[in-house]
Amino acid sequence: MVGTQHFWDREAFNGAVDKVKELGGEVLPVDGGRDNQVHADNHDIFLTNKVDAVISILGDAAVEPKFKALQEKGIPVFTVDHLSPYAINNTTSDNYYIGTTIGRYLADSLGGKGKVAFFNAFEGSLRICGIRAQLAKYVLKDYPGIEIVQPELAEAFANAPEDARKKTLDLLTQYPKGTLDAIHVACWDQPAIGVVQALEETGRTEIKVTAVDAGPDTLEIIAEKDSPFVANIAQQPRKIGSTSAENVAKYFAGQKLLPQTFVDVIPVKGAEEAKKVYAELGYGKLN
Amino acid sequence: MTAPVLPLTPVSPPAGASDFLVLEAISKGFPGVQALDGAGLGVRAGEIHGVVGENGAGKSTLIKVLAGVYRPDAGRILLNGAEIETGSPDAVQAAGVRFIHQELNLVPHFTVAETIFLGQELSGPFGLRTGAMRRAAEAFLKDSLDAAIAGNRLIADLGIAERKLVQIARALIDGKARVVVFDEPTAPLSHTEIEHLFRAIDALARRGIAMIYVSHYLSEITRICHRVSVLRNGRNVGLVDPVGPDDADRLISLMVGRDIGDLYPKRNHAAAAPWLKLTSLSQSPHYADVDLELRRGEIVGLAGLIGSGREELVDTIVGLARPASGSISIDGRPLRSGSTAAAAGRGLAHVPRDRRNDGLVLAMNVADNINLASLEAVSTGGFVRRGAATTRAQQSAEALDIRPKTVSTAARLLSGGNQQKVVLARGLATGASLFVLDEPTIGVDVGAKAEIYALIERLAAEGAAVLVSSSDPAELLGLCDRILVLLRGRIVAEVTPETTDLDRLVALTTGGDAAGGIAA
Amino acid sequence: MSAILAIGRPQLKSAFASVVPLAIFLALLGYFGLRAPGFLEPATLILILKQAIPTAVLGLGLSIVVIAGGDDVVAGGIDLSVPSIAVLSAAIIADQLANHGSAAVTAVALGFAAAIAAGAANALLVTRVGMTPLLATLATSTAYIGLSKVVTANRRIDLSDPLIVTLRDGSILGLPLGLAIATGLAVTAHFAVHRSRWGLRLQAVGGNRDAAEIAGLKVRRFLAQSFLIAGAFGGAASLFVLARGSGSTPGVAETLLMETVLATFLGAAFSPRRVVTVWGAVLGAILVSALSIGFGSVGVDVFWTGCIKGGLILIVVAASALARRSGT
Ligand SMILES: Nc1ncnc2c1ncn2[C@@H]1O[C@H](COP(=O)(O)OP(=O)(O)OP(=O)(O)O)[C@@H](O)[C@H]1O
Ligand SMILES: [Mg+2]
Repeated sequence: MVGTQHFWDREAFNGAVDKVKELGGEVLPVDGGRDNQVHADNHDIFLTNKVDAVISILGDAAVEPKFKALQEKGIPVFTVDHLSPYAINNTTSDNYYIGTTIGRYLADSLGGKGKVAFFNAFEGSLRICGIRAQLAKYVLKDYPGIEIVQPELAEAFANAPEDARKKTLDLLTQYPKGTLDAIHVACWDQPAIGVVQALEETGRTEIKVTAVDAGPDTLEIIAEKDSPFVANIAQQPRKIGSTSAENVAKYFAGQKLLPQTFVDVIPVKGAEEAKKVYAELGYGKLN
Repeated sequence: MTAPVLPLTPVSPPAGASDFLVLEAISKGFPGVQALDGAGLGVRAGEIHGVVGENGAGKSTLIKVLAGVYRPDAGRILLNGAEIETGSPDAVQAAGVRFIHQELNLVPHFTVAETIFLGQELSGPFGLRTGAMRRAAEAFLKDSLDAAIAGNRLIADLGIAERKLVQIARALIDGKARVVVFDEPTAPLSHTEIEHLFRAIDALARRGIAMIYVSHYLSEITRICHRVSVLRNGRNVGLVDPVGPDDADRLISLMVGRDIGDLYPKRNHAAAAPWLKLTSLSQSPHYADVDLELRRGEIVGLAGLIGSGREELVDTIVGLARPASGSISIDGRPLRSGSTAAAAGRGLAHVPRDRRNDGLVLAMNVADNINLASLEAVSTGGFVRRGAATTRAQQSAEALDIRPKTVSTAARLLSGGNQQKVVLARGLATGASLFVLDEPTIGVDVGAKAEIYALIERLAAEGAAVLVSSSDPAELLGLCDRILVLLRGRIVAEVTPETTDLDRLVALTTGGDAAGGIAA
Repeated sequence: MSAILAIGRPQLKSAFASVVPLAIFLALLGYFGLRAPGFLEPATLILILKQAIPTAVLGLGLSIVVIAGGDDVVAGGIDLSVPSIAVLSAAIIADQLANHGSAAVTAVALGFAAAIAAGAANALLVTRVGMTPLLATLATSTAYIGLSKVVTANRRIDLSDPLIVTLRDGSILGLPLGLAIATGLAVTAHFAVHRSRWGLRLQAVGGNRDAAEIAGLKVRRFLAQSFLIAGAFGGAASLFVLARGSGSTPGVAETLLMETVLATFLGAAFSPRRVVTVWGAVLGAILVSALSIGFGSVGVDVFWTGCIKGGLILIVVAASALARRSGT
């Protein structure tokens, strides 16, 4: 697990751990503290402990050689949100649907024209982010009035909200009122928390915010009255984690697995939908 | 085992020999001070040439000019008739002139062999030849300095005297030394250690090495030097040739330009109420079961070699260290141990021995240093009245004859002895009732010594209790009412000057066997 | 017969004190071995060593600066910027390879040039401008990280260049290639610092500057050299950082800094003379890496691991400080 510091990570992790235990397995949990290098190095621990299977959640290319080493030792690797030639199966959200849908919602919120800034640090390094960002841009191509601000912003992997808040404040001084219409966080939602904070601090709430993941913290922000945060795509991280654990069980039972298992996502647009999805996903009740 | 006392009547240098090293009409000025004003020096091969003078007379400056640390404003240096470049440490080193600085300046985690060979290491295709250097270092120490010190011991594990010998070995190891300069080499040493050092120096003289010996200990100077140059205010005021055991008074009057009369003041203080009391104070392994009573109006001395526990005991009394057991009380009330602030609060003033590190804020000026511990006396509502502060500092500077007299000089620029006087002045300015003076006259010239002794006497006469810890037995005998002798952490004797002479006191500090001290 | 009073303390005591920290670590490693089968196997040892490489190489550079500058915490020698230099050099190499299509030689040469220049800047600030190393390198460290972000636009750059892959996966005489190279670097550094004439003088400069000056050594030159060498080790470490991460990733400098400083000063606790040494830094790096893998193997949470690591290190370093204080 790359980290357990925010909702998505924790839920996927707990989903997998709980399911493994439920199925009678034993878990050796390791946590990268949201440092991709530590996450990669942690795989060495599985190697030395000779585990039966590995579920690896997220991670960048630094883990590939570790997967390879595990594979060579005959330890099957199952990934979550990470496509790898050395893995048996990758369990993930339907990222293609996420990308196109959030692209459409973004275009809608701009009324078809305007300037949008992208937080897009991982398009090149994480495949799932590549899919989400590129498909959103693919949709925007059909709106000649929409322009993506260059260069794109690069958020930090750890402490994302605070980092994004500072970067947004800088962005706002560079683009005074009337010259920027939306900010889109292309691959997840933690930076959006900081983005909204920055907009509220500077009174620039005319700028629309969109993102991906829709954990309870960002759903709450969307559900607020007159929130600048207008659209999001909710994933089901717990279900992703537990599905991956089920796949491990299926594998050991000799069943054939597809390279990828997709878990449904739920688009969210506006405060009302946010409240509804919040309840649906069992996060509680918002009013 | 203790070495037999050598007669040490100096071997005369080759008669009629001409000077091997000549410093000729050297002048050197600093902003506001003419440190050297045409001073000179001639040293023959095989001669031990003493240099004496009051604090600030210019001794250290002259040595630094020779070392190439300072370039003189005028004058030249000749070695064996040939002029050598001034202001260049490398040229001086290459000419075979070596310095044994007062500070040890050694790397604590180096071995003896590494220290001695630093800068001229033995090295082969596989790097440093550690074994060869160790053997060579041991052989050199044995043969040239008569010292058995293992080459692989760490400097940090050596005693002060051993370190001094290593320092000397380092200066001589390359075999090219023609001139060796000693700057106050004996200050931290015990009597036995000094004897050993003198024998080493004597051996060097017999090998024809020219030596310059700077010291405030006139008894040492008259004993081992062949000739002595006296400096005052940056000028030569006399050359005593040859010098003998009875020349101390002559040297003193040359140094200070007048007769200082008695070094020690007349006693006219009287012991009154009991003040400081130590009850079975122990701190292993340094000292054990120390009992001591000190009354107001009384001067009590602490004698003991380095390592006798004397330093640690003083540190405990002033609150720098905590005893393992026992108690300290002042005026009948117990004193919280291990706190200098508590001690100061009870009227204790401390004059530390290591003035450069513990005593002075070197970056501050003389006036601020003097006033530091008693700022209340010169401030109103938290603000220091600069005028009052300066006036008061000026007064104490004059009383102690601190030079230069301008109290706005940075303490860092003062000569060693004058720095010591500043530390004393600060202690005195606090108006304390109990003074703990640790080596009060180290590095201080005779003239100033007499002034400091007079001041200590005055403190006692005015009713203060004074504890003096000193490695100079003559000083304790001249100054104190009673002297407690520490040996290996225990008080082995309490003596009075009336019933004890110098030889006996020295014998007591060294453990009974009468290792003859330096006859004063 | 010498008449000198022997006040020296026996060396036994310091030898004993250096055994205690080592014993703590051996006990911990034994515990990991009991709790996590497989921990004490040779394969694990190789993994521990491999993970220690970047920290160890940076530790070589840092230890040389500390040795030359003295280990006084405030005024002594320290170079907080070595990890940042590695990150900057890594960023340049990755950017050259991935975005400019440069040949590996060109990319590495540019990265190294930057590393040496960075070391030279440190040397200049400390020896010419007269800043304390702590402040100077704190400032330059921030600057170098900033530069690396400019180069990479703060994004990860994936690398699959044969050079990097070989360094990561290659082996020589049955040893992983990276490990072999790092060992070579460590042996060279050890010889230079602890077995050569130059090294002894470097140690003297750090041990007592006055003593070095009296011995006729050019103190400033040694200080400057130490910073340049640290820069070079930063450059060397950048290749290992790239190999380990299969590319350059923003944000790795902090962890590297923490581990490098720990490894270097932890090493001092294990040296009989209680001073920072080249071998000590390498040993420190290996221990830090062994602890990470060990705690992970017995299932301790990362954040607890951080706490426990910090606590252990405090104990060891404090023990050595105490031993040193009573020893002199
Ligand atoms: N670097 C300096 N800058 C300014 N003044 C100095 C400097 N060094 C020495 N002096 C002054 O020059 C004079 C001679 O000082 P020097 O240190 O040579 O005296 P000294 O004979 O060694 O005295 P002591 O016995 O106290 O050590 C003193 O007045 C001193 O204050
Ligand atoms: Mg002097």
